[in-house]
Amino acid sequence: MDETVAEYIRRTVLKIPRDEIKMMLQKWGFLSEAQLQTINFHQIKDNISLEVVQLCEENCASIKQAAVLDIIYNHIYPNKRMWSVYQMRKTGEEMEFFDLADFKRKFKKCLRSALNNVTINFREYEDNEIWIRVAWGTSYTKPNQYKTSYVVYHSQTSYVFISASVLRSNLPLLCQALIFASNYHDIREMELRSHCLNSLKDFVFKRYSQNFQTYCPRPLQERSVAPETDLRIIQENRSEKERIQRLNREVFGDGPLPKLEFAQYKLETAFKSDPKMSVLAKKEPFRCLIRFSSPHLLESLRSLPPAGMADAPLSPLLTCIPQKARNYFKIREKKGFIPGSFVSP
Amino acid sequence: GLFAYLEMLEAQAHKAAVKQEEMEQQEEKLAMLKKRLQELRLQRDELRAKVELQEKGQLGKEGVTSEPAQPSAQTVLEWKIKSIKAMLQIFYLTGISGKLTKRGVCFCISTAYEGTYLDSYYLDLLTKPEVQIYRHSIPAFIPLEQIAKKYLQTDIRRFLSVLLDHLNAYVGRRFQADQLQEQFPEQIEGSLQRNSLCNLLVFKYNVSSEGKTFSLTARLLYGDLCRSLPTEAVVSCAPDSPASLAEVAAAHSDLFRRMALHKAFRSFSSAVEIME
Repeated sequence: MDETVAEYIRRTVLKIPRDEIKMMLQKWGFLSEAQLQTINFHQIKDNISLEVVQLCEENCASIKQAAVLDIIYNHIYPNKRMWSVYQMRKTGEEMEFFDLADFKRKFKKCLRSALNNVTINFREYEDNEIWIRVAWGTSYTKPNQYKTSYVVYHSQTSYVFISASVLRSNLPLLCQALIFASNYHDIREMELRSHCLNSLKDFVFKRYSQNFQTYCPRPLQERSVAPETDLRIIQENRSEKERIQRLNREVFGDGPLPKLEFAQYKLETAFKSDPKMSVLAKKEPFRCLIRFSSPHLLESLRSLPPAGMADAPLSPLLTCIPQKARNYFKIREKKGFIPGSFVSP
Repeated sequence: GLFAYLEMLEAQAHKAAVKQEEMEQQEEKLAMLKKRLQELRLQRDELRAKVELQEKGQLGKEGVTSEPAQPSAQTVLEWKIKSIKAMLQIFYLTGISGKLTKRGVCFCISTAYEGTYLDSYYLDLLTKPEVQIYRHSIPAFIPLEQIAKKYLQTDIRRFLSVLLDHLNAYVGRRFQADQLQEQFPEQIEGSLQRNSLCNLLVFKYNVSSEGKTFSLTARLLYGDLCRSLPTEAVVSCAPDSPASLAEVAAAHSDLFRRMALHKAFRSFSSAVEIME
């Protein structure tokens, strides 16, 4: 077995938290149950990884098999990477029968025709989700297994989630291979980025609970009634509180919201002030970048009006985030009679 | 020899008993629903009679009735609410129901396949300045933009109808594939290969005849996204299989094109048993 493969496996095992190592190795399926039994999973990780490497030597692991372990790790811990969302478009209306084998073949062909030194791995998960791992090399060097790009694609949708890694120069080639393999015409990056892959999927596939108004004939789930409060306490501003709750519910819905870490607004608007302040008399736009960050941005925005820290309804620039599925905005001057928001596409 | 034969008979009898029980359960369910239907019809007739009596009562004090001639406002209100709820339920059961919103209308599309109600999807439309989709919960693999581009501005009824066809067909195909995996796990070899739209299904399955089991591969292509039956069904067998198997494959291919997947399986599973 190649030394580089051994080292790669060792480092991958070291990344895994100790309690999860056995489970991941079982998922990997490269080492037999009997072999796994011989490993002592209670020692320090350094020793565990050395034992694993030794067993892999016995089984003559190749880099492709080692890469599968990497995919499994990244599938369970996707939040360690930064993901961007891309949207593909096709002009024709032809019906496509998505054939997985066909897709894989075309993808590999496209990449390999441009670059010989790549390691490509595919792994399918439920919900028709395909994970693609690509390790990039150059014409003279072998693929660098530590600088990998990941692609997550749900077949027959137009969205792709890409975690590009440091080598962004390979991104155009990756995009080209994707549209070729999935029979689309072009691809563009959406202004939506986050570490939390599941939340990005929630946004794009509309999996969060949007509050649709319907005459729902099915019985609504019983909302837990608040316990009777002390009658001596009088709620002032009860109607105001209820108004805020109602507006909040209309905008954000009732259920859990997808997780976003930040929203970024690039302002290219002119500063409006007292004309006597000559310093700001220039007509150039005042460039400014506003960034909201939070462990869970949408949830914190939802809790601002009830806590009294913001007016309800919140600014549509903030509340449009789930519906527009973006968290990077460019705001320019409102020109003339352009209706609606002046957020650039 | 003998014991094996006895075991096989026992297994067959057990299978037949399980099937029998299932059918009995289905019939029981059906009977219960019929009974419920009768009850509701009775209720409806009673209410109709009451209404007639009330109308009569307003004209004159004739007719023997235990109800007072002037119903209380409460009961009238309750009756109105009940009938409105029933009306809304009917709209919901037709598959497309809607509610006017401040800026437009919100449609609820509820899908069903052969008597089983499946998922509901929502479409929030704006009506000014032109009809556009504000937000929705339609899955990303349904070609919503294409359908909207074609019909949304010009003929909204057609738009909804086409969308309903797509969604119903999709959940129907998905339901068939799920039922197949659920009801016939022993006959399917390996896993069912499908895609998001469930319009391409590839799987290997077993058939047994004359005591031996043979493996067939089926590839179902659903060319029309608005239909839940395949447009193309190719059933192939290994090159060294007997000629009779090719006939079976052709028969199965025809069956898959005509009836629902899990029903097709049920029909030829029982047919094979009868042959034995």
